[in-house]
Amino acid sequence: EHPLLRALIKVTLLKHEATGKPIVVEGLFVGGSAGKAEGRLMQYHPLSLCNTSEDERQDGDFITIVKLEHRVPRCLPLLDKARMALDKGAQAVIFDVSDDANAAAELREANSFSRPVVLVEAQGAEDLMGLVNKNEEANVVIEIKVEPKWLHYDV
Amino acid sequence: TEGPPSCPKGCDRCSEYNGCVKCKPKLFIFLERNDIRQVGVCLASCPVGYFGMRNPEGNNRCTQCKIDNCEACFNRNFCTKCKEGLYSHSGRCYVSCPPGQRTANETMEC
Repeated sequence: EHPLLRALIKVTLLKHEATGKPIVVEGLFVGGSAGKAEGRLMQYHPLSLCNTSEDERQDGDFITIVKLEHRVPRCLPLLDKARMALDKGAQAVIFDVSDDANAAAELREANSFSRPVVLVEAQGAEDLMGLVNKNEEANVVIEIKVEPKWLHYDV
Repeated sequence: TEGPPSCPKGCDRCSEYNGCVKCKPKLFIFLERNDIRQVGVCLASCPVGYFGMRNPEGNNRCTQCKIDNCEACFNRNFCTKCKEGLYSHSGRCYVSCPPGQRTANETMEC
């Protein structure tokens, strides 16, 4: 089983685009979905990714972020929620799994997503959700984190 | 009994980022989009363009009307207010009344 690749999530508030330094958060690609993606940050309520959900179409490229919570009635398996978010047109999906201990394990079992699906937690997730709470338009770029290749010395 | 003090009115379970995640019995959860945020709010009746869908587990929710040219609906299949200039007949909306139906222009009904 190949190791899960880490993601770099760079977020820039549109009003600071010219001057502002992006917030950089690390995450984990799941479902063999590692790759680049870009779009506006768009939060979805966990209940909006259910069979009874509306087809809330967004214009332009957007990246969905969902704060998962174990207390929210689970209407669909997380893999289906991820696919539904991509089917709604998201360029990528970010799941904050800080408050849903089983979510990470469930999503790691995935094997094939069409576009990047990334897990975030702890301080990184808090930074991202803090941005969502500001409710200001932000641009998100997701890339594969390139791990530095250390020269191996025989000691 | 009142929900947790921090939760908005009618809400049994809520969180900082998602708003309400479980409403009190009989109320409907409406997922309100406000720019980049989408939060749950609890309503006794759903806004125009949505109808209240009840479900056995009590996770009642506001669901979008899916009938063509409809602005307000009673349920998934019955429109109560058609878009301007259209005629309503048996819960559907028409550019012109179906054959055999007389047009009532004052009420825009067939």
